[in-house]
Amino acid sequence: MDYKYIEQLIESYFACTTTLQEEQILRSFFSQEDVPAHLAQYASLFNYETAAKEDVLSEDFDERIMSQIETAETKAEEAKKPRIIKLAARSLAERRFLGISPQVFTPFFKAAAVVAIALTIGRAAEHAIGEQEAEEKSNVVAVDPYIKTNDVQQAIRVKDVSQAEMKATNDSIINIATKDEIQ
Amino acid sequence: MNFRHDILPLKNIVFRTALRIVLNREEAEDIVQDTLVKLWERREKLDKVENLEAFALTMARNLALDWKEKMDNQHVSFDDEAHDRLDENTNSADKMLAQKETTGAIARIINSLPEKQRTIIQLRDIEGKTYQEIANTLSISESDVKVTLFRARQAMKEKILQKKSFFL
Repeated sequence: MDYKYIEQLIESYFACTTTLQEEQILRSFFSQEDVPAHLAQYASLFNYETAAKEDVLSEDFDERIMSQIETAETKAEEAKKPRIIKLAARSLAERRFLGISPQVFTPFFKAAAVVAIALTIGRAAEHAIGEQEAEEKSNVVAVDPYIKTNDVQQAIRVKDVSQAEMKATNDSIINIATKDEIQ
Repeated sequence: MNFRHDILPLKNIVFRTALRIVLNREEAEDIVQDTLVKLWERREKLDKVENLEAFALTMARNLALDWKEKMDNQHVSFDDEAHDRLDENTNSADKMLAQKETTGAIARIINSLPEKQRTIIQLRDIEGKTYQEIANTLSISESDVKVTLFRARQAMKEKILQKKSFFL
């Protein structure tokens, strides 16, 4: 049998002029049982190249990494949850800055702050409530002292927009009605 | 981006490539874990990545090189230790894979090459990657890949011919 082609491929392989396909041909050629004696010294090289691709991670790897990913996910989820910042968590330095003795005034200060916040939010909400009646829902929301100020402002903005829209609709209805009358 | 479908399948090529650098299965496995977790943490930015596999391999290689450097700085005789471990590894692996002593000898020849050469041999001759993919992974030019591969294959040929009777 003539091995010219294979010999040539081997030469090209060491000269780095073979294509990926030709390199695959060499690996296939050497994987067969009967390799001619004058090429046999290269059999181990190409057989190693084939075999080395079968080296894989241990079976329990997936389980371990999946649990690691899930733990990371849970942590990320928790980090995303909004936190309620308690007033008691104010730092000592901050209290001193405000001129309040921490031991005596903390409860009063807390209560005052809660009332102040409730009043502020309540007033803001009240201000937003126009003549419209559909506001009961958001009124309840706005009074909840735990809600974020941002959310209240958002609600107010939405309300203003809906009021404006309502007005626009009313105006156009009036316009149409007027037109009809004219006609 | 789904971990199980998009990232996890890269594990074995990342493992083999890292192993070729650190020559230590345990460390290579840790590197795979680090690489895949980092990819997952950055998943929102991965849409811009053209070749996720090459990106993963680059990350793994950097981690492997860092580890190697750390070992060198600790004055651990990396080569001796690596070769001892390597003999264990290749022996057990080869019994399973090819059941031939000679393939173990080939593994030792490849692993005694400089890191860049053996990584390129890994990516080209074992993983079947194009010159472009390898250049991309190693952040070097294609001609640099070819020159390095040429040196590596020549060195392998020389060592095989030196021990020709052993390989016959």
